[in-house]
Amino acid sequence: MTRQKATIQERRQFRNGLLFALPWLIGLTVFGIYPILSSFYYSLCRYDGIRSPHFIGFQNYHKLFFEDDLFFKALYNTLYMVGLGVPLSIICGLSVALLLNQKIKGMAIYRTIFYLPSVVPVIASSILWMWLLNPDIGLINIVLHHLGVAHPPAWLGDPAWSKPALLFMGLWGVGGGMVIYLAALQNVSESLYEAASLDGARTIARFRYVTLPMITPVILFNLITSLIGSFQYFTEAYVMTSGGPQDSTQFYALRLFNSAFQDFHLGYASAMAWILFLITLTCAFVVFKSSLKWVYYEGETR
Amino acid sequence: MKRKGAAKFSLLATIVIATGCSSKTSDRVEITYWTGWSGHEFGIQQGLVNEFNRTHPTIHVRLVSQFGNSGYQKVRIAFAGNATPDIMSTVWADELADYAERGVLTPLDNYLAKSGRNFDAEYVPALQHSLRVDGKVYGLAVTTDTGFIVFNKKTFREVGLDPEHPPKTPEALKEASRRCTQVDADGSMKRYGYRPTDLRMWAHVFGGDWYDPKTGQVTANHPKNIEALKWIVSFNSFIDPKRAEAFQATFGNEKTTSGPFFVGKIAMWQTGEWASEYLRRYGPQVEYGYFPFPAPADGRPNSTYQNGSVFVIPSACPHKKEAWEFLNWLTSEYPVRIFSSTIGNVPPLIQVKDTPRFTKDKLFKFAVNLSHGKNGFGPPGIPMWPTYSAEISRAEEKAVVGGEDPQKVLDDLQRRMAKEFAETKEDLGR
Repeated sequence: MTRQKATIQERRQFRNGLLFALPWLIGLTVFGIYPILSSFYYSLCRYDGIRSPHFIGFQNYHKLFFEDDLFFKALYNTLYMVGLGVPLSIICGLSVALLLNQKIKGMAIYRTIFYLPSVVPVIASSILWMWLLNPDIGLINIVLHHLGVAHPPAWLGDPAWSKPALLFMGLWGVGGGMVIYLAALQNVSESLYEAASLDGARTIARFRYVTLPMITPVILFNLITSLIGSFQYFTEAYVMTSGGPQDSTQFYALRLFNSAFQDFHLGYASAMAWILFLITLTCAFVVFKSSLKWVYYEGETR
Repeated sequence: MKRKGAAKFSLLATIVIATGCSSKTSDRVEITYWTGWSGHEFGIQQGLVNEFNRTHPTIHVRLVSQFGNSGYQKVRIAFAGNATPDIMSTVWADELADYAERGVLTPLDNYLAKSGRNFDAEYVPALQHSLRVDGKVYGLAVTTDTGFIVFNKKTFREVGLDPEHPPKTPEALKEASRRCTQVDADGSMKRYGYRPTDLRMWAHVFGGDWYDPKTGQVTANHPKNIEALKWIVSFNSFIDPKRAEAFQATFGNEKTTSGPFFVGKIAMWQTGEWASEYLRRYGPQVEYGYFPFPAPADGRPNSTYQNGSVFVIPSACPHKKEAWEFLNWLTSEYPVRIFSSTIGNVPPLIQVKDTPRFTKDKLFKFAVNLSHGKNGFGPPGIPMWPTYSAEISRAEEKAVVGGEDPQKVLDDLQRRMAKEFAETKEDLGR
């Protein structure tokens, strides 16, 4: 087929289409692309937010890598949350979804109960958890005491336990991912299970060779979103610990926020944002590349 | 077309609202005033503003509440966008130098002189320093605060301390704290005496400084600062910092009857003038005394740290004359007397000291005298102080909880802050 010149009709349609999309395009340019590009420019500047930015080349980046101990601490803390938190949330979310996928009475109620925490605003649940995790009068330690733990951890009061405490608290919110797994699980065709059963597959084998491959696209989705979410871990630390004790909960986004709005080093904070962007991008890229090997879309074989 | 018009209108409306700048309606100049006070304190401000509006027919002040942390952050953004109100009290004394050095505030010396006011004769010593940046007055205040220690006399007697002679030196304070501290058999805390947690302030008590205006250098590792930090760390010998922090997490709100001092979890309470009201409301059963932060022989007795909200006139807005007229009135004796005595803050004006509200209540009188004394002090008036101040707390935590060497952490702080300060100055100088 040869390419034909667009008719007047087509051109008009293109123009109209463009006009209809224009508000969004303008929005994207003004509120999306422009700020992103200018943040890169600011990352090369000393910029206090009041006076005009002053170009200093790559000094901010140099300072981040060679002079700022807190930067690496924040990076480590964040990687800790990503490395442990992401797998944990996937495993727990999936496990709960599997349990809630059983056919027993009152399932709708159980599902609601598990999903409920995800509806609670993060600030509210953070404040609630501050009480639960209270070393002396918190419910968790009271229970641990009754179970015979003589010296339960001080949780948010102890640098060794503050991050595990936050991870633990994060599990309370697995409901969000769970709902998505649940939807995927319900989509797995009965006929596949039947066929597997006829071939002699037992529960574990059915899960391993039918369920798991069939829901890999959803696992990929949850992996990517929770990866990005964990890199941006902020609210809980801002509300509950403001980075302490001993900087053990100084997370990347929190440090970035403080650089920008406590120290008013907006250029420095922009540089941090770009490094985080590159890290997140790389991780997402690696996950996507690897997904070719482990994600199955319907009808595909590998 | 209609839509476009609407969009234009809403854009315009946004700009007008966002700038919040003054506008002239008929023959009355309207000026906008941002305040950080909220609740009943806002109500009292509003009452004063109403009174001003009633008595000044040519000016109309519009009071806008910018409550909470975001209110103070908004200020920064307003400066960046040249969208400041005519006058605002949403700047902390900590931040004054940061703004002043960036040229976004109006120096007030000429206005003060024209109105026949004598800043140094009116304001308490601490504020004479902290409201000035590079020798110029950039802000005025209608309130200030103070700090000291309230102690439980009954506990003092029980542990063999003389409640009529509270500690006079840091060592005596430590000893008193040690005696009041009770630890359970399993190591968890039941009560502690006093736990110093504010190196910024204690360094001053010990005779140290964070900045030397003569040399224009930061002095984080001033020998007295190190001495103060060593003293703070030495409390670890009887108050395990991790235990103490776990214990502190169980403390109830000070504004309730379960406040740690009222229920006996601490025997000494670092507090301020508000203690008078809190004790009456939430701890009437406590038999208490009070004393200023005890200083070593070569330190600064009766020290008290004074921070607080500061009124400024941004350089960007056009009705400076009217803004000054309002500020001049609001910081005069009568409104300051009304405001500080009704909300129970220490008045920053020397003349207002003898208001019955402040002289009748013994604790309040003590607090007011303390903050009017020569060793009251505020932020050192250098840009980047909020950052520096946060870094001091981190250094303190490293030494107290992390067990690092006080000398080393303050040397390290000095190195980093000197560099930061040099960079800030260089940036401001360009």
